[in-house]
Amino acid sequence: MDSESGPADKPSGGAEELEALVSTTDVELLKRAWRNEKAAPEILRFETHLIDRVAGQLQLMEETVDDFVESGIDPLTVSLYQMDLDRTQFLLRSYLRIRLQKIEKFMFHILKTNELHDRLSKQEKNFTRRYSEVIGKHLEESVLLNLPDNYQSLLRQSTTSEEDDMVPEPQMDAFVVCRAREYVGPSELQDSNKSLATDLLMEMEPGELFFIPFKRIKKLLENGKVDLV
Amino acid sequence: MYGRKASQLVRELTGGEKGQLKAFNDDLFNQVIKECSSHHVGLQALFRNMQEEGLDIQTTRNADFYGALIHHLSLTRNKRCLMAYMYNRAEVIRSLKWKLGRVLPNELVTKLSNSEKEYFKGYSAALDAYMNEMNLDLTVDMVPPKDPYIQVRVLDDIGEVLLTDRSANLARYSMHFLKRTDAEQYICQGLMEELLS
Repeated sequence: MDSESGPADKPSGGAEELEALVSTTDVELLKRAWRNEKAAPEILRFETHLIDRVAGQLQLMEETVDDFVESGIDPLTVSLYQMDLDRTQFLLRSYLRIRLQKIEKFMFHILKTNELHDRLSKQEKNFTRRYSEVIGKHLEESVLLNLPDNYQSLLRQSTTSEEDDMVPEPQMDAFVVCRAREYVGPSELQDSNKSLATDLLMEMEPGELFFIPFKRIKKLLENGKVDLV
Repeated sequence: MYGRKASQLVRELTGGEKGQLKAFNDDLFNQVIKECSSHHVGLQALFRNMQEEGLDIQTTRNADFYGALIHHLSLTRNKRCLMAYMYNRAEVIRSLKWKLGRVLPNELVTKLSNSEKEYFKGYSAALDAYMNEMNLDLTVDMVPPKDPYIQVRVLDDIGEVLLTDRSANLARYSMHFLKRTDAEQYICQGLMEELLS
């Protein structure tokens, strides 16, 4: 988990502030956000400020690399900065791609659940709106409008269904591997429906790895007390 | 046998290579839809029977009711199969957008129904709008980068091309040292190959 941002040596004075910019914990934060997003079955909160900062830093890095190329600085240094730039760009793009995939998969569920809808960025909300129209129209025209009256709903099997049973939902029971960052007491792992007596009394020391259903650590993930691996 | 055609339709999804689309089976699709209509007609006829005999639809449980129930359940099963067929094809179509970009080669276009062509266009537009708003092209960089520049050999004649920092003449069989992000789109289309030394 060591951060490899920035070159090993500091080549010149002007590069130090750049080093400071790039090797701040922002890249580490992005890596963390990316890993959590990859491992979690449902979509997590969009890290608006982090992404804005990272985008700004990437822009700055690109300009600096261009300057370096023009001013003829040693190509090894340039390629090291370039590699770092590429890696951070990959993380950013992958982060956004994973989120898009989750949105596409659980589109209608997200639109129905306010809590999940609030986790999207502004642009993602726009995408969700546009895409839901596209797929709704497609499914309606090809299948639903050709079916008899009571069976034309997109979200329900028929008008006699009691709930929206044709909407796929993320698997909250899926097991994930997580690592605690701070001490986690047994009360925080409670499943809210069960009582203390029947539930697993477990505590997590910082640094320990656990294999646990996602819904147990959902709150802890939001508070930053655990990380998914 | 009720539902057999629908399950045949769904089985079409599993045969063949993963990620490859077969031609849209219009015929079978329409047959399943017709089956749904006939189920509906049957259902309504049975309910009418019950009403004419003066029985309460909500609570009576006689042979007509169970007949109607079978129609209803077969109908919902057919609906699920049809939706699954469309939905899974839509997933493959989406992956095509990520791999091939905005324009599809002709042999793929013939496999899609009209509605699917519209869907592809709509999805393409929504994705492009999102990428424009974020100011990032998300279709490059699909694998973690090992080197910023890679060696490529050109397989097809592409000609004079403008890259990020310079222009290059990509004649067939020529080798170039390109930026990864530039080369990626050509590699995806099969016009170039990476030389892993």
